[in-house]
Amino acid sequence: MASSDKVLYEKDSVFIHTNVLESKDKDAYIPGRIYFVEKPEGMFIEWKVEEVSSLDDHDWAVVGNAVGYKADRDSESVTINAKTESRKKYNISFDLIDLKSIKTSAIHHGWSYLIFILKDGTTYPALHFHSGGTKEFFTLLNNHVHIKRSPNDNRLYIVEEHDPDMLSKSFDELNLFSDSSEHLVSIQEAFSGNLSVRRHKQKFLNDPFTSTLGGFSKVTNFFKDVLLQPESMSTRPREEMAEVLNEDIAGMEINHQDEPGFELITKKKPDKQVADPKPPSRPKFKRTKLPPRPTVTRGEPLQAHQWAGMMDKDGRVLNVEEVKEIIFHGVKVWKFLLGYYKWDSTHKSRSEERKKKVDDYFKMKLQWKTISEEQEKRFTLLRDSKALIEKDVSRTDRTHKFFEGEGNHNLQVLNDILRTYCMFNFDLSYVQGMSDLLSPILVIMENEVDAFWCFAGFMEKVSSNFEMDQQGMKTQLAQMHTLMHFVDPELCSYLESHDSGNFYFCFRWLLIVFKREFSFPDIQRLWEVLWTDKPCKNYHLLICLAILDTERATLMENRFGFTEILKHINDMCFTINVDQMLNKAEGIYLQLKKSKKIPQPIKEMLEMNCTSSPSSSSSSSSNTTPSGAMAPPLPSHLRENGTHSAPSSGSGTGRTSPDDSSIEILPENCEPSTSGLHNYYL
Amino acid sequence: MVEDRLVTMQIWDTAGQERFQSLGVAFYRGADCCVLVFDVTAQNTFKSLEGWRDEFLIQASPRDPENFPFVVIGNKIDLENRAVSAKRAQGWCHGKGDIPYFETSAKEAINVEQAFQTVAKNALAQEPEVGMYNEFPDQIKLTSEQNKPREGCGC
Repeated sequence: MASSDKVLYEKDSVFIHTNVLESKDKDAYIPGRIYFVEKPEGMFIEWKVEEVSSLDDHDWAVVGNAVGYKADRDSESVTINAKTESRKKYNISFDLIDLKSIKTSAIHHGWSYLIFILKDGTTYPALHFHSGGTKEFFTLLNNHVHIKRSPNDNRLYIVEEHDPDMLSKSFDELNLFSDSSEHLVSIQEAFSGNLSVRRHKQKFLNDPFTSTLGGFSKVTNFFKDVLLQPESMSTRPREEMAEVLNEDIAGMEINHQDEPGFELITKKKPDKQVADPKPPSRPKFKRTKLPPRPTVTRGEPLQAHQWAGMMDKDGRVLNVEEVKEIIFHGVKVWKFLLGYYKWDSTHKSRSEERKKKVDDYFKMKLQWKTISEEQEKRFTLLRDSKALIEKDVSRTDRTHKFFEGEGNHNLQVLNDILRTYCMFNFDLSYVQGMSDLLSPILVIMENEVDAFWCFAGFMEKVSSNFEMDQQGMKTQLAQMHTLMHFVDPELCSYLESHDSGNFYFCFRWLLIVFKREFSFPDIQRLWEVLWTDKPCKNYHLLICLAILDTERATLMENRFGFTEILKHINDMCFTINVDQMLNKAEGIYLQLKKSKKIPQPIKEMLEMNCTSSPSSSSSSSSNTTPSGAMAPPLPSHLRENGTHSAPSSGSGTGRTSPDDSSIEILPENCEPSTSGLHNYYL
Repeated sequence: MVEDRLVTMQIWDTAGQERFQSLGVAFYRGADCCVLVFDVTAQNTFKSLEGWRDEFLIQASPRDPENFPFVVIGNKIDLENRAVSAKRAQGWCHGKGDIPYFETSAKEAINVEQAFQTVAKNALAQEPEVGMYNEFPDQIKLTSEQNKPREGCGC
């Protein structure tokens, strides 16, 4: 801070919680100090990582059995300073005029926190006030800006703009009450600012119908923005508002996502327009056509002895449906969920299956390992996938303990599994995003072969996300629109009128199944729930709805547009509470299930027609087993070798050569170990 | 800071692999400048500039395609194995209506600042005047697309 800066307020013990690491880890809480600073250029809110002080408890270390003062202070403080340095990236500084809103923690959340959201959608990590002070901070802030609590979300506070002239000016310039088409276009100009006005005009001339309705949607949007302001909230009759908000264009449905840039307007089926009973939970708008959302809480995780009790004496799982039901409420039996083992397998058959899987894996691995440099020169596809995997592996979860540090062997394992997957699925090969899906699986499995087959099982479920034509992604984005239109028409129409009806902001969530949004423990938990296909198919879409439902007030009352929504959603990573979302998504599911008027496309999407018959779902899960119909097993004379060498290159030596040290083989009954992956070599 | 004005740039990168581009075109719209980046050590990345430029102009459909601001950046000049000469790149830029050309190393932080200064300046020059309806006139949305990005493209 420069000398001209005047610190008006400061408070220590304000932490940023990074969820990348296990939450037990002390490093997950980054200590810092929040400041309110008056600078020549304006009022600033800043958060700075705490500098290392000599009293920092890092200087104390466990020496033998006793706790003693570390003699070698220099080297220690060097490492700490390096840490401080690397943590500086978390520092926050912004001008108060850029502040749009503040989200607070729920009352019983534990440490209270504040999340600052800027006008451009930037959403900073939650600042946890470990020794209180949020109230003081709020009071201070209120002296400089006008803050109002959102009427729709009691955790959201909106910073109000003070410009009484703005509204009337806007109305004047809208030319709302002129009937000339040129003026209609000018409405668009008013809202789109400098953005390709001529294109709009051209568009109007080419297609006056679409353009006109597009213009209308912007007017609706304008009304909504005005009406959503808290003051008008209290003065206008709510019913009146609900009408304006919900009925964009009666009987019309605007579809944004079929083709980017075009709005497909179709006549809606009359049954969608039927008025519905108002839900008691949210009286402010005709919010949803659904019955009230039940509160759901999750069950206790399955314990090991319970799991054992679910098998017969040969190890067959007795009641698959019941087990899946319990898994849906939390447990880790990934190999079954991902089709590695069949549900009706026995201890004996599983041991055989595993042996076969080990063989199959290393046969495929051998295929790429033995391609010579010469061959590679004439094999563009392989060269490209190799380069891409190398690039991605080196930036996958590098802050996680399992992958951190230069030359971490687990990176090599990540690389090898992905290269081998290219051999398993030539048609798809490697596509960006796959490394994200593999990484949590590898962390759980801690074993190359097991991780590979579980990954392959996961890919079986989501491979359409990665296909060249992106059809899988396009379908899901369209499904999101269909669902949102039914579950929350108001938010849906808001998104449509803010260039976001294509749901592109969900792209990352869908592509890698929320991997980047959650910490490892959370994503592992969420994935195993999704893998059960309980309570319905495509449950991940309901998770999306649950997250968006939580953010609806933030998006709408901040009047976020396309870029701001995208930025806000992207910045939300590691701030979403997985349990709350699972509960809310189940609540939405139960609402849908009770609803009498679910549109057919939604029924089909979630497969809600057929009450899940045990036979169909168990067969579908066993069908997901990646088939490994491979040639005879590898020679069994495996010997352990302590060193790891680079892939043999250029030699093209026989693949059965006992000296080929590039091939890793795992022991047959390799138990997961905490120290990392076992490496055995031919 | 561009000519005493504090400018906030919003920089968008195109999404990784080719197959993700089909959705990405929605992001071109509303851009105020387009940055084309190629790798000076890889011929093919230079050759595909033409395609990227055309694609951008089609998808973004700017009101004045002839004068829409582009900036071309030849990156990775820290590497020895150069495959595209500065002269050749400049020649191409000249032929496309004098697109500003910069040679940078994102790795060594060479010339990146200057390149983005030009990006900001040319984007601002596009603005007719400060929008009356803009709530925060100092903020200029600046969008750029980069092909062949590498680790930390210097933005």
